[in-house]
Amino acid sequence: MSDPMIDEWYPVALFSKLDAAGRDTLLMGHPIHVARTGSERVAATEADGRSLPVRIRYGHVWTSLGEPKKELFDIPEADEPGRRLVDVGVVRVRCSPLRAVENFLDIAHFPFVHTDILGAEPHTEVEKYDVEIREKEDEVWATKVKFFQPQAAKSAAGGITTDYMYRVPAPTCSVLYKTCPPRPGEWDVITLFVQPLTEELCDVWPWMALYDDEADMTDLIHFQQMIFLQDRSILENQIPRRLPLDPGMEIPTRADMTSVAYRRWLKRHNYTYGAQLVAQ
Amino acid sequence: MFPNNWCKWTPVALSADVPAGTVIPAWTPTGDVALWRSQSGQLSASSDRCPHRGMRLSHGFVRGEALACIYHGWSYGRDGACLRIPAHPDLQPPASINTRNQITTEREGIVWVVNEAQDEPPPSFDGYWPLRSMTFQASIAALEAAAGAKADISGLIRCTLGGETAFLLAVTKGEAETIVHVLADKNASLAQRIAISQAGEQLRRDAESADALEGAN
Amino acid sequence: MKLYDYILSPSCYKVRLLAALTGTQLTLRPVDFHPGGEHLSPALLALNPAGSIPILEDGELVLTESSAMLVYIAAKAAPEWLGSGDPAESAQIQQWLSFSHRLTASLGGARLVEMLLRPGDLAALQASGVKALRELEAALAVQRMKGDIFLTGSKPTVADIACFPYVALAPDGSIALDPYPSIRLWLRAVRALDGFIEMPGIHRLHELKPEPAKETA
Ligand code: FES
Ligand SMILES: [Fe+2]
Repeated sequence: MSDPMIDEWYPVALFSKLDAAGRDTLLMGHPIHVARTGSERVAATEADGRSLPVRIRYGHVWTSLGEPKKELFDIPEADEPGRRLVDVGVVRVRCSPLRAVENFLDIAHFPFVHTDILGAEPHTEVEKYDVEIREKEDEVWATKVKFFQPQAAKSAAGGITTDYMYRVPAPTCSVLYKTCPPRPGEWDVITLFVQPLTEELCDVWPWMALYDDEADMTDLIHFQQMIFLQDRSILENQIPRRLPLDPGMEIPTRADMTSVAYRRWLKRHNYTYGAQLVAQ
Repeated sequence: MFPNNWCKWTPVALSADVPAGTVIPAWTPTGDVALWRSQSGQLSASSDRCPHRGMRLSHGFVRGEALACIYHGWSYGRDGACLRIPAHPDLQPPASINTRNQITTEREGIVWVVNEAQDEPPPSFDGYWPLRSMTFQASIAALEAAAGAKADISGLIRCTLGGETAFLLAVTKGEAETIVHVLADKNASLAQRIAISQAGEQLRRDAESADALEGAN
Repeated sequence: MKLYDYILSPSCYKVRLLAALTGTQLTLRPVDFHPGGEHLSPALLALNPAGSIPILEDGELVLTESSAMLVYIAAKAAPEWLGSGDPAESAQIQQWLSFSHRLTASLGGARLVEMLLRPGDLAALQASGVKALRELEAALAVQRMKGDIFLTGSKPTVADIACFPYVALAPDGSIALDPYPSIRLWLRAVRALDGFIEMPGIHRLHELKPEPAKETA
């Protein structure tokens, strides 16, 4: 496998739920085993016994089949005191890991897929926002994204215009920063960590770091599971299953600038696991 | 079976299964379609893939005279042209965005689809009216064996189901998948139609187990 | 009434749905089923040794089977959901309530394997799910021949609510609903009921609302 995605870090387990018996799973088509070996220790091994590098971060266990050239990306907000860290739990989706990330970067679907929660007709317009590939960090960023939300989060009553920033620090991970109703001026952090099982199958591990002292932890988990499960039936019905990287097969508009930049960034790095390169 | 040398049309669904204001998935040899009927009753067969981000349009919804995609709400008219992009309410969508619709027609309760204009309309079945559509996980050969009858030159299988004469319109979807539209005498009583429908279930079990036996050999 | 609830559980949703349709107030007590496994905690096992949710509490009464909860809510708030009282109809409603447990075991089982990574024999669960869907399709086809759309007549009952969620969510367990035209129309009829609420995986019927008028700048 010459795909440079092999040298990236991927989530493979929820650390809090991992026991000594461990978890048999797949990473980019390779069977691996992940198990707890101590209170703060985890081992990941390939079928032939080769041990893989491991990181425990953001509630999850991360590993790589190759030799990561970079440390796992940083989410500085994760360590800020006062944030509630929410392990949302795994959901399996029959789709390309890249399609799962692209959907996470999209706001135009809110009124139709997350109706009356993240969006609602007639407030469907996506205003212009900024997108860039930050060369130094080598990340895709979308900023100044605004959208009307009838119920922005569990703790939000009534509609507001919500601000968002989206960040893609790794080919199958995205971090969303979003208006934090209880603390104006701060950003809630909502992530989508995607484990590519194969090019057309993934385990998705949403995770959050929120300023919310009120809500019950279970309510926070359920809110995010509800949102993601609304997306799942979309993701399993996109054709083709793999993300087309060549222009022509799908038609973006200005609302899709983040997706366009993400696709361009994937192509530039030759991150093609889960991508479709030639039309048809 | 359909389509064939004499009939290029594919029977894709029963008219009654796609009422006004609905969309359903259907299959043709030239691809999956989202078959939809506008509020005023007009039928269209759009390619089952939204040009925007590939979502299946058969999961969408029909409002008035347009089909809308469930993902971002782009809507399309009967000619396939994109009418509206909700993310950009003031934008007139470019004419190049089109769902590439096929040609549809209805005759005696059956919806037929073809990808290029035909001189001949689809066939008529002489006092027989569609009862229901079924999907068999079986080949046409297994279906014919179970029905005890072969398709005639027009493609029609005439057989006896539940003691009554029935016509079967079969469409080969894959090697081991066949769509079957079951037709019964227009004047059949409710009891006779129920008997044919139940016998259709047995026909499917027979056809599928015939194929399973074949596979074991 | 207090419902021990999980947003992704079709069985919990049945109870929420009937409550919404009958105007019954429920106090929801979210249970961290996934990933927390809270339904197996001592506190919940004390309420329901079977370790399943939903659980419905009303004063001294504790119910642990969703079909019983549907009957209880209907009897209290809207007895028309229990049918007309005709013996054959009452028995058929009971039959569909029992049938709904087959849907839970098969379609629901496949969904838990495919979606939440629970252990299970996926192929076997899917095969028994398809068998149940075919049975339902055949029964609904007969209902339509009689001019009815719901399971036991022209009006919905607890039978429809008991069967609706796992059928609507069959695709979550990679079981396609494409081959079932009568099931599709029945699902639509349930989704179009006054007071209907969704759960994740079941989209809003956006066509029930008119297209928003274009704002003039
Ligand atoms: S995929 Fe159809 S509107 Fe976006
Ligand atoms: Fe979404």
